[in-house]
Amino acid sequence: MSGVAKSLTLLLLVAVAAPLTAQTDGQAIYAKYCSQCHGENGDGQGIAARFLKPEPRDFTSGKYKIRSTETGNLPTDADLERVVKIGLPYTSMPAFPNLTNAQVSAVVGHLKTFSADFEDPELAPEPIPLPSPPSYSEEGAAKGREVYEATGCARCHGTLGRGDGTSAPTLTDDWGNHIRAANLSMPWTFRGGGTRQDIFRTMSTGFNGTPMPGFYGALPEEDIWSIVDFIVSLSGNTVEEPYANLVRSIATRESLELTDDLFSEAPTTVLPIVGQIIEPGRNFYPSIIAVGVQAIHNHKDVAFRLRWHDMRAETAGTNAPDLPAPLWDDELAALGQLEETGSGDDEEGFWGDEEAGGDDEDFWGEATVSEEADSGDFWGDDAAPDDAAGEAGDDFWGEETGSEDAGGGDDFWGEGDAEPAAVTTPETEFSDAVALQFPLEMPQGIRLPYFLLGDTQNAVQLWHADLGANASSAWVARGSAAVSPGDSEPPKMTARYEDGEWSVLFKQPRRPQTGLTFEEGAFIPLAVTVWDGFNRERGNRRGLTPWYHLYLEPLEKPSSVRPMLKAGLGVLGLELLIIGFVRMRKRSRRPDVLRS
Amino acid sequence: MNVLVILAVVAALIGLRFVKPGMLVWLAAWWVGCYVALRYGFSTPVPVSVIKLYMGIVTLSLTAYALADSERWAQVRDPLTAFMTERRYQAWLVVVALLIPALFAVRIYAQMTSDPQAPSFARTVHPAPPDSITVHDTEYPLGTQDNPYRHLENDDPEAFAGRVVNGRQIYYENCFYCHGDLMAGDGMFIHGLNPIPTSFQDPGTIPMLREAFLFWRIAKGAPGLPEEGGPWQSAMPAWEQFLTEEEMWNVILFLYEFTDSKPRAVEELH
Repeated sequence: MSGVAKSLTLLLLVAVAAPLTAQTDGQAIYAKYCSQCHGENGDGQGIAARFLKPEPRDFTSGKYKIRSTETGNLPTDADLERVVKIGLPYTSMPAFPNLTNAQVSAVVGHLKTFSADFEDPELAPEPIPLPSPPSYSEEGAAKGREVYEATGCARCHGTLGRGDGTSAPTLTDDWGNHIRAANLSMPWTFRGGGTRQDIFRTMSTGFNGTPMPGFYGALPEEDIWSIVDFIVSLSGNTVEEPYANLVRSIATRESLELTDDLFSEAPTTVLPIVGQIIEPGRNFYPSIIAVGVQAIHNHKDVAFRLRWHDMRAETAGTNAPDLPAPLWDDELAALGQLEETGSGDDEEGFWGDEEAGGDDEDFWGEATVSEEADSGDFWGDDAAPDDAAGEAGDDFWGEETGSEDAGGGDDFWGEGDAEPAAVTTPETEFSDAVALQFPLEMPQGIRLPYFLLGDTQNAVQLWHADLGANASSAWVARGSAAVSPGDSEPPKMTARYEDGEWSVLFKQPRRPQTGLTFEEGAFIPLAVTVWDGFNRERGNRRGLTPWYHLYLEPLEKPSSVRPMLKAGLGVLGLELLIIGFVRMRKRSRRPDVLRS
Repeated sequence: MNVLVILAVVAALIGLRFVKPGMLVWLAAWWVGCYVALRYGFSTPVPVSVIKLYMGIVTLSLTAYALADSERWAQVRDPLTAFMTERRYQAWLVVVALLIPALFAVRIYAQMTSDPQAPSFARTVHPAPPDSITVHDTEYPLGTQDNPYRHLENDDPEAFAGRVVNGRQIYYENCFYCHGDLMAGDGMFIHGLNPIPTSFQDPGTIPMLREAFLFWRIAKGAPGLPEEGGPWQSAMPAWEQFLTEEEMWNVILFLYEFTDSKPRAVEELH
């Protein structure tokens, strides 16, 4: 190519690029799209920040979670650009599909200016190798379970990865905010992405600024891949959101004994939970992600099982649908401070090289959540038969995962017996609770009660379980301001917490003397509320769903043979009539045809 | 709109012209073409009930077209009559005569054994507003009400900008959980909402509405919707619980500013 052509091309490029620079002003893009959460100065203190959890990133720290670089290192530009483009699932960080590549790099350039570390050539980020993933194997998952236990993953993430490790309630990020260990059975919520490659990267690089370490160099690559397999097995390979909108109650002739076995055949419908932010009591960061609902009925009764993952069972305190809750509150921040003082503010030493005595014996060791729950024998005689080991593994995504106790012993965290600062977790004032909501009467036509506790004309009923008192109650509501105990019998209820999962069983007669009856073949509006006592949820400060539907499958499925025969023969008859008619006419017309 | 599908249908119909097929084939081609265009031609799927309605109209039109001219009708009728009467077609006739009832029976079977679908309610997204609303003891006639601060855009740009900044703060303290950072109706809570929140980036929403309409929707929320809007299922709060009127008008200014759009003007009555 000649020099002239080259310079012409260059000229053209300059001409095209000139207007682009106006649009790729990183500072302006940052001001419009980022500063409301991350703050004008990049310190994570934007106007929306106080309503958000996890908190918006403080860019001045230079600490970034999603990276391709070794733990503690800065992210590459590509890492930052990726997050701007696709966001962080299940946080307030959205994807920005509206920005062009040039705009994304411009805004990344701008947010790097908030931390001087990016200018230090010594700290220049180097991505670690990210090999392409080997295929999933059961053996890998089985080995992964062992490595997972041995490495101490279960301490935060829990034996079955439900974010319920014994230390999960005490985890804080580098800014002293409580931070939840990821629920490893829900890959669609993974901040760094839910594919095998993503999980491998997260495992390798860790999340800077959080307790999640990077295992690059600390664990052999094949061990990391085996943990990846184990994590994949926890969700039964469910990578996408598994949500649906219809709960199908299966029919049985047996009597309904309220045990977990009763629901072994019933399909699970997973309903997403969001915060109640519509009325006072606004709950901007509900901690429960989803509830799995199952139902079964016989001619007399209908029974439900509700299961959800909860970091810790809050069985102290009380809860009820009518407890007052402030408009919204800073209580969680106060809670964070409680934890900070409780854990001795030991950000550096949190992982255990610090020898700090404590009464909390065996904190890292054998104590497992299920033992904790059992030790108090909280559920007393009502507790479901403890056939736990197999049961617990039957998780609601449908994958069989056995349950084993977390082993203590030597592990990644080094001194196996070292005990960290005694962590006194805050006593909770509010217990965990759950409620099923139905209309008080079967709606006539399309009009339903307002999904938020009904309205003055259309009441709802709540089947409520206070998991602190281990007691159920029936409530009637005509709007949030008119919630009162109902007259009807409280539903039969049993509850169990194991390996980070609540399992609450309800039973009621299908045809009570007054109000809603559960008829086969009908679509009955149903909504769910959960309260996480740890998150100080009570009253209208709750996690909820809008209306979904319950469908009771008929016990006697009508045979389809007769209607099929009817339709088929009917159509055939019609055809024969037409053919006969046409043939008759043709025959009678033949003379005409001949004549013409 | 899937332009490729539409183009393919048009191309197929044009191509068919060169083959010069019989009238019956023509009608069938038109019928199938219309169906394909309706079913696959739109990026947002057309509801089955709507497709049925349109295909009914298409069937009627094609029948009318065939019947309108006796020569055309003969072209349709004669091959059918031949098929039903002539001996050489008899085997095929038996096959077809049995196949059609079998298809009906299969359909009945599929219907009776299919999984139940949750009922859905086709709500009116922008229902007609009431004549007037009362917010914090002040009555607002929605037909004539304008944003009391809109005039500042020309009269006092600085004060206007201040109001937009205030509106922005209110939006990011209250609204973006559902309506999203980019106002595209894709906030962090939408996976748990039905109906999903309005996208203000959609040109069919706020540019088509007057500011008073937005004021009504914001102040009264879902509980203030008429029945056709499904007030029992929308998660829109009644913001009069939390915000002053001034704050609501400011946030409206911000919505238009952020999306770079203009409200619909009050129509002059002649």
